[in-house]
Amino acid sequence: MPGIDECLLEAMRLPGARGATVVDWTSGLALGTVGDSPNGDHEATAAEAAELARTAAENLAFAPAEGSDWSGGETPVEDLIVSNRDSYHVLRFVRTTFDSSVFLHLWLGRTDGNLALARIRLGEIAERLVLG
Amino acid sequence: MTAVRTPPPNRLPARKPAAGATGRSGAQAAVSPMLSRLAAERATGVLMRERGTLFLSDGQVVHAESPASPGLDVLLTAGGALRPEGWWEAVTQAGPGQRVGRFLIDSGRVPRGALELCHLGALYDAAFFTLGPTSAPGRFRYGVAHWLGPIHPVPVDAVERETLRRRELLHRIWPEPATDTQPLIRTGRPVDVDVPRRRRTVLDHVDGARTASDISAVIGRPAFHTLVDLRRLAAAGIVTTSARQEPEPEPEPEPEPGAATAAAWPREAPGDPDIALLRRLRDALEAL
Repeated sequence: MPGIDECLLEAMRLPGARGATVVDWTSGLALGTVGDSPNGDHEATAAEAAELARTAAENLAFAPAEGSDWSGGETPVEDLIVSNRDSYHVLRFVRTTFDSSVFLHLWLGRTDGNLALARIRLGEIAERLVLG
Repeated sequence: MTAVRTPPPNRLPARKPAAGATGRSGAQAAVSPMLSRLAAERATGVLMRERGTLFLSDGQVVHAESPASPGLDVLLTAGGALRPEGWWEAVTQAGPGQRVGRFLIDSGRVPRGALELCHLGALYDAAFFTLGPTSAPGRFRYGVAHWLGPIHPVPVDAVERETLRRRELLHRIWPEPATDTQPLIRTGRPVDVDVPRRRRTVLDHVDGARTASDISAVIGRPAFHTLVDLRRLAAAGIVTTSARQEPEPEPEPEPEPGAATAAAWPREAPGDPDIALLRRLRDALEAL
């Protein structure tokens, strides 16, 4: 049964993966980190990514049309994708059976990375993280 | 030529940052010198402070508890991740061997990743309150271990850094700490439809009697998360501290000797709305 570290290591096996983190978006705390981070400081990156995740999670504009009441750990947003000239960031919200505000953050290089694959795998990893 | 030494100018009278704020200096003062020393000597045992306890194993933090924050049992059972009977079975069977966490995982009651996430959340949450500013000395008892057993140990300096960062985060949102501890009441100001769902859950539990900690226990959410939402609600003018509790702002610091009149602001006239408004304005300006 995988724990936080195993799930992050699994994410790091994706092509082009540079760094992976589990972050709490209410506080900006990095609960686990593997690999590199864009500015060399996982904690600072986590706090910045948390701001982005919070904006997406809290604003109705990004929720599905029929709304989202967070029941059963459902999150209004599944994932966020940020791309730039040299890399991708995929932020995947984690559904938990306890009250939480957690997401997985995968940073991958653009030349080797496969965004579609990363997005699917990260969703699977997020599920395994909390369901075993 | 004679060198004239002038005394340094008096510092402008400025209110000290509210208790819990680290200020802008960025100085990472250790939150507890005793804790740093215990980490350095790779101590095992329990650190008891005024607002909670921190369990160390081999110099790392393995668990934390505070009366201000909900325990792991509350967090796991409130949302249905674990039935209360399942929790008590685990405590009864594995408590004496100090491996309740291990038992929850091995018996299939809670998946490992979920337990790690939930426990880490609870650990940092309780540590935030335990390591809050206090004048009371802490005590450490060597050799004591918690019955939960290790789940995902974290370094002491990570916990200290996070605690300071959280204080600063709260201060940035809204510099008035009263909503952290006092009974809360709605101001009556109309609530926008777009108050985010999770924040609305907190708001729905503001009833004039409950404190932030009470609300956290009822909804099974880490207390720091509730503090964040309450500061945002206070900043929006939607929630304030219960009227009966006013005025009880954070204690004004003792005027420093030599400092110009620190008491530029009057002690609160009870119930004077102008003073309350001025205080809010001042705090908002200071937070800019």
